[in-house]
Amino acid sequence: MVLERKRILVGDDSETITTLLTAALESSGYEVTTASDGQETYDLGRGGEFDLVIIDQLMPGLLGLEVIDRWHDEGMQTPVIVLTGVDDDRTAVDSLDKGAVDFVRKPFRVPELLARVRHRLEA
Amino acid sequence: MTAIEVTQLSALIIFAANALLVAGLIALKTVHRSRARRHHRRKTQYMALISRHVTYANCTDPITNRMASDPAFLDALIDVRNAVVGPEVETLSGIVDRHGVIALQEARLRSQFPLGRRLRAAVALAELGDESAAATLMDHLADREPEVRIQAARGLGRMKWTPAIDAIVARFPVETPWVRARFADTLLGFGAAATWPLIAYIRVNHHFEREGPVAAIRTLAALGDDQAAQPLIEVLRNATDVEVRIATIEALGLLGSLRSAPALRNQARSADWRVRAKAMTAIGDIGDAGSVDIIASGLNDANWWVRRNAAAALTRVKGGVDRLCAALGGDDQYAAHAAAEALTEAGEVGAARQRLDDGRPLERDRVLVERLIGVGA
Amino acid sequence: MIHQVLEWTGYVILVYFILMQGYMTFLGARSAAALRRTHHLGRYGRITEMLSSRTTPPVSIVIPAYNEAAGIVDAVRSMSLVRYPRFEIVVTNDGSTDDTLALLIEAFGLERVTIPYRPDIDTAPIKGIYRGRGAVDITLIDKASGGRADALNAGLNAARYPYALCTDADVILDPECLMRAMQRVVEDRERTVAVGGNIRPLNGSRLELGHLIDASVPKGLVARMQVLEYIRTFLASRPAWSEMNALPLVSGAFGVWKRSAVIAVGGFTNGHLGEDMDLTMRLHRHHMDNRIPYRIVYEPSAVIWTEVPDTLRVLRRQRIRWHRGLMTAVKDFMPMTFNPRYGLVGTVTWAAMVLFEYLAPIVELAGWLIIPVALAVGALNIASFGWLVLIALGMGLMNSLVALLLDESYGYFNSPSDTSRLLVMAMIENLGMRQITVVWRMRALFGGGAVRSWGDMERRGVASLGARP
Repeated sequence: MVLERKRILVGDDSETITTLLTAALESSGYEVTTASDGQETYDLGRGGEFDLVIIDQLMPGLLGLEVIDRWHDEGMQTPVIVLTGVDDDRTAVDSLDKGAVDFVRKPFRVPELLARVRHRLEA
Repeated sequence: MTAIEVTQLSALIIFAANALLVAGLIALKTVHRSRARRHHRRKTQYMALISRHVTYANCTDPITNRMASDPAFLDALIDVRNAVVGPEVETLSGIVDRHGVIALQEARLRSQFPLGRRLRAAVALAELGDESAAATLMDHLADREPEVRIQAARGLGRMKWTPAIDAIVARFPVETPWVRARFADTLLGFGAAATWPLIAYIRVNHHFEREGPVAAIRTLAALGDDQAAQPLIEVLRNATDVEVRIATIEALGLLGSLRSAPALRNQARSADWRVRAKAMTAIGDIGDAGSVDIIASGLNDANWWVRRNAAAALTRVKGGVDRLCAALGGDDQYAAHAAAEALTEAGEVGAARQRLDDGRPLERDRVLVERLIGVGA
Repeated sequence: MIHQVLEWTGYVILVYFILMQGYMTFLGARSAAALRRTHHLGRYGRITEMLSSRTTPPVSIVIPAYNEAAGIVDAVRSMSLVRYPRFEIVVTNDGSTDDTLALLIEAFGLERVTIPYRPDIDTAPIKGIYRGRGAVDITLIDKASGGRADALNAGLNAARYPYALCTDADVILDPECLMRAMQRVVEDRERTVAVGGNIRPLNGSRLELGHLIDASVPKGLVARMQVLEYIRTFLASRPAWSEMNALPLVSGAFGVWKRSAVIAVGGFTNGHLGEDMDLTMRLHRHHMDNRIPYRIVYEPSAVIWTEVPDTLRVLRRQRIRWHRGLMTAVKDFMPMTFNPRYGLVGTVTWAAMVLFEYLAPIVELAGWLIIPVALAVGALNIASFGWLVLIALGMGLMNSLVALLLDESYGYFNSPSDTSRLLVMAMIENLGMRQITVVWRMRALFGGGAVRSWGDMERRGVASLGARP
């Protein structure tokens, strides 16, 4: 029986984060696509082809929360995890309000992030 | 050669110089650009490699010493280190240890030149925050390059390497203002651990120098550790330099300890207007209601700054607003003006007018507004 | 006999020209070195440290306003977004006849206050002072009309902080410009009395809240020529002048001044068409006369944007005004010219300003007159003439190339079309456009061309006196 690999979209303007996340997720067996700004993330994600989206709050162009908003309006169902800065409580709460399923603070613990991803995808 | 020929020759020389400059700039840029591109490419590869090591413990992708000496590798390592927390940082430290990264950077830092590479090494050691580099960084607090000194202090601050505090404070008298300011920022990062070294330094040196102790006093104020209040009160009693005195008064105000009140009241009677003015503000900062008389007398001071600061202080001290209202109706028109300004700035006037409009005024509100009109506000 | 005269005159012109080119080359090379050094150091996070440090000095942003109802509220709002830990905005309404005052009071909820106002510098009478209580620290001074210098002086009087950024209402500040300029101050607080910034023409570019969205070379030739001029002066001249501590001009559109120093020399001079150059030179003179250690520097990364004239008519008025201002300054500072007592300012940069800026129109005009006559009379042969013209055009092109290469690091004009437009402009500007400015400046020298005072100038594109190409 061939299990299809789960597909994850990662949107962050920091190359470090995207590389790190790609390495971590791919080594766990997921297929990763990356985007480096809000617009690109929005365009790639709106079709609903991904199983999970991880998006950074602060990106040039469209902000992470705005992207989630738009997806929400268009009825996109893919679960979204938001990455926020350490001191940014307000974003964390806002993101949950807007329909994200979870948030992760930067800098983060890789195993913890992977656990949350696994949880979302196997739920 | 004739004059014309000389002129023509000079013209040619200048033309050639310009052409050389243009060519040189183009060459420099091209080299720089291609180097940057290659650096970026390698950095991305290294980031992927390091990320894999961080993600799963038994990653077998090789990292060679040669890679580890590549500046792109170091950049990648530092970036990844800043993005993660927890045991992953241990993994990165492991990589650093196994490949002698710290030792290499230390060697680069110790070399005489080029400045760019030394500076990058200093930054790298500061960012990596590995304690094995502490000794080297301590040595380089006295480096001949100011930027290197700043990075050394920064690194020691990030590691919270407490022996560095004394070394940094000891450099206050000899440092340039820019470096001293950055050192002060680093000391703030140490928090309360920096308090006593700073106090020790101030105690010993304030009779001999001005700038270093003043910077140290300001840093103490920024640290906000009120253990510093008592020692500073003593400094104030013994201070001979007026700038030191002023900085100490300001610091005591910011530290906010009521214990400072008697000493500050004393200073409010100083012969020097600058000291009086600062003392008024400081008493206002600590909010000592018992000093209200002293501050109120400041309203009648001959000097404008003292009057202004006294008035502002009265708005922050219990019972002060009443004194200001009294001054508004008094004979001393300078005091009245100062009072008017302070009451307006503090919003008392606006609040009084609002309460009058709402029909729920305090006793003094009507009087306040009337007197303000009398003063011409 | 005529032969001799022509030959010698031609020779003098040639020497003049070569000296000028030599000077420009020297400045270009020195600026390149200076810019390389600042680029190097800029990479180590100084800016973020300064932003969060407690030792960063507070600054007053001083803005003179005369009949600026059209954009004053937006301008003040956008200036309040500048990234700096502590600052206040001081706007002076210089007897506007439109709604400037009312608009400001309403937009920012200002109230009239009775703070004592200390006239450290004498100005026209103050009618009232207003302060706001909102998030932005604004002080508005309403006074009788007195001109830009007078308005700035009133603003300086009311400013509470030790440093003042003097600018104009129609200038757009880059969010980090103040931070970057103050970096130069903090490096050496004792000695730094003024910092000049980098002015870029806004024409053809789009900005939003001070952030550059799209930079592109303007379509109009008039504006395009000025883009090149500004790049030449701000990247290939001023860095060199700054290194020599001999900056003859801190632009009125962006200058960070140490308040106490400006007050010590009496503030900006009223009625002067070049009050920024005048103040800068007076500061040099004052500190050198009194042997006070000081420095006046230029920061290339402190950027502001302003609209430049895009028609010949408006440009003409601006250039005549500039040259008039220069004339007054030359007269006022004649004792400093070539005077070794005044260091590099007197002997190099100011001397060069007099020789190569002030006298340039005369020499160039003489050149155009002499050369055809010399050719006709046979004192000059075609080969020499041709060679001369080639060198002249070539050197002019070189100056522009050096400047463009230095500017390229900042990455404003990236597309090939922008670069080629600027290169073409560099080649053709000596074929007519420069000559026109020479004619205008001649008119200024000999009194032609009615020029009204600052207050009456057409609003678009003429407010800031600044870059001298």
